[in-house]
Amino acid sequence: MDQVIAAAGLRKHFGRPGHQIEAVGGVSFEVERGEIFGFLGPNGAGKTTTLRMLTTLLPIDAGTATVAGFDVAHHSGRVRQRIGYVSQLGGADDLATGRENLMLQGRLYGGEKRAVAARVDDVLGLLDLAGFAERRVRTYSGGQRRRLDVALGVVHEPTVLFLDEPTTGLDPQNRANRWDHLRSLREQGTTVFLTTHYLEEADSLCDRVMIIDHGSIVAEGSPRELKRQVMGDSVLLEVADEPNGLARARGALEGAGFVREMATTADGLLRLYVDDGARALPEVLRRLDAIDVNVKTISLSAPSLDDVFLAKTGRSLRDGTALPAEVAA
Amino acid sequence: MRIARETSLLFWRYSVQLLRNPVWLVVGLSTPLLYLALFTPLLRHLSGSPTLGGRSVIQEFLPGILALLAYASGSGPGFSTIFELQAGFVERLRVTPASRLSLLLGPLLSGMVAMFVFDGVLVAVGAAFGFRIHLGGLAVLAVLLGLLMCTVAAFSIAVALVTKDISSFAALINGLNLPVLLLGGVLLPVSLGPTWMRVIAHFNPLYYLVAASRTLSQGTYSGSATWQAFAVLVPLCAFTLAWATAVYRQAVA
Repeated sequence: MDQVIAAAGLRKHFGRPGHQIEAVGGVSFEVERGEIFGFLGPNGAGKTTTLRMLTTLLPIDAGTATVAGFDVAHHSGRVRQRIGYVSQLGGADDLATGRENLMLQGRLYGGEKRAVAARVDDVLGLLDLAGFAERRVRTYSGGQRRRLDVALGVVHEPTVLFLDEPTTGLDPQNRANRWDHLRSLREQGTTVFLTTHYLEEADSLCDRVMIIDHGSIVAEGSPRELKRQVMGDSVLLEVADEPNGLARARGALEGAGFVREMATTADGLLRLYVDDGARALPEVLRRLDAIDVNVKTISLSAPSLDDVFLAKTGRSLRDGTALPAEVAA
Repeated sequence: MRIARETSLLFWRYSVQLLRNPVWLVVGLSTPLLYLALFTPLLRHLSGSPTLGGRSVIQEFLPGILALLAYASGSGPGFSTIFELQAGFVERLRVTPASRLSLLLGPLLSGMVAMFVFDGVLVAVGAAFGFRIHLGGLAVLAVLLGLLMCTVAAFSIAVALVTKDISSFAALINGLNLPVLLLGGVLLPVSLGPTWMRVIAHFNPLYYLVAASRTLSQGTYSGSATWQAFAVLVPLCAFTLAWATAVYRQAVA
């Protein structure tokens, strides 16, 4: 297979000798040409650190990484020539126009003025920025600015594009736009490597996902493969706010044989993991009815990547990191 | 060749930024002019006195202001670097294959050109108040001013990359300002001070620049002050540039 990224035993420590914290503890993985590869994990799991090592921004403590055919530690110049990087901060010049920003970036990669100008026009079109190209970046909206950040990452036609949390802070419409843009980059043959803590992003955008927690890889595969590893369905339950509704519901369901696991979410819902959702649902309702707990909403869902994360780490990724739209749903 | 190309790309980027930020230009120019306007009258009665070796106040004072401007122009790029770190611009550059020396020289040379423009305005204004222009001396002085500016700029950019936040960077730079400027004899010659002060001053690179600046402004080329200034500033500038490039290479934002 045509590998664009190959990492073996990557490690990174921070801190003074004696007080070291292991940020990344020996991760190994491969990314193939033309796929969108997602690095999923909670904040502080080591995603950004790994990304920064792969993009030559951070020295590697131990292990090796090859990106676009070159060793990151020994041929950083050649790696830089072949990768694009979009940080969470962006990095566009406020006082310059979108076109000026792109021209500078393209020419820093060694392109001739005329060739870069043509490419800049393409990129402006690709990211729906043509209408704002001559405006200074300080007048851009949040969504336009984030599109320019991606444009800056691809203006030199990199083999691999790295993105650090590409949709953090975007509203649902801009996020969907962003996904479309990344998919069209993939169609043009660019390999996309992104970090995210959004389950939906990993699930619907990425061809392959790697889940990282506390600096180690806990699972890797296509979203479908990963979800298949977790058997069963989950039931999400909201009970009425009457005295101790939640606690009493927990008590009533605790001993039930069909409940494999139970968790209370950050927004006060009860999540049950069951083998067969269709059979469990009436039984759940019957038990709650028997102790006079009023059910406000109940829903049944097939396994999600969060269930994969929960199964591997015992914790939920969703709590506190959910997308705004998802909380409302 | 590649470094020259990259440096010129970044030079234009920084120069355009400066021109689009008129507040900075106004403040940058008004500070040295205010020194000239507000400080020179205080020294008026010293004019022609033995303290100044019989020279006029403006002939003695303007070279010090030129040195002060070189020093102040040098700390500017460090402040920009702090903001560029926070805006992700430094990272955007570091991930390109551009040479780290180019990343350093682009802003540095842009700041240097701005400094020379300000120097020109200062000399022209000074001339109107009796400063005698010796073109040859000023040309040699320009090289020395460039060397000091370059040294301070490389230092300030490196310190910015290491400290990363505006409060610790500003504390460090401002803390250095007062002793460096006073012990450099920018405002008043260090020769007025006691022996210990004159001894310490010899460890201050700015001292050599100020001394050379005063000599060269008289139209004296061959004074020992000029050779001493070159002997101190050339190696110091080379060393600071090498150090700052190394910091750029390793910087972790």
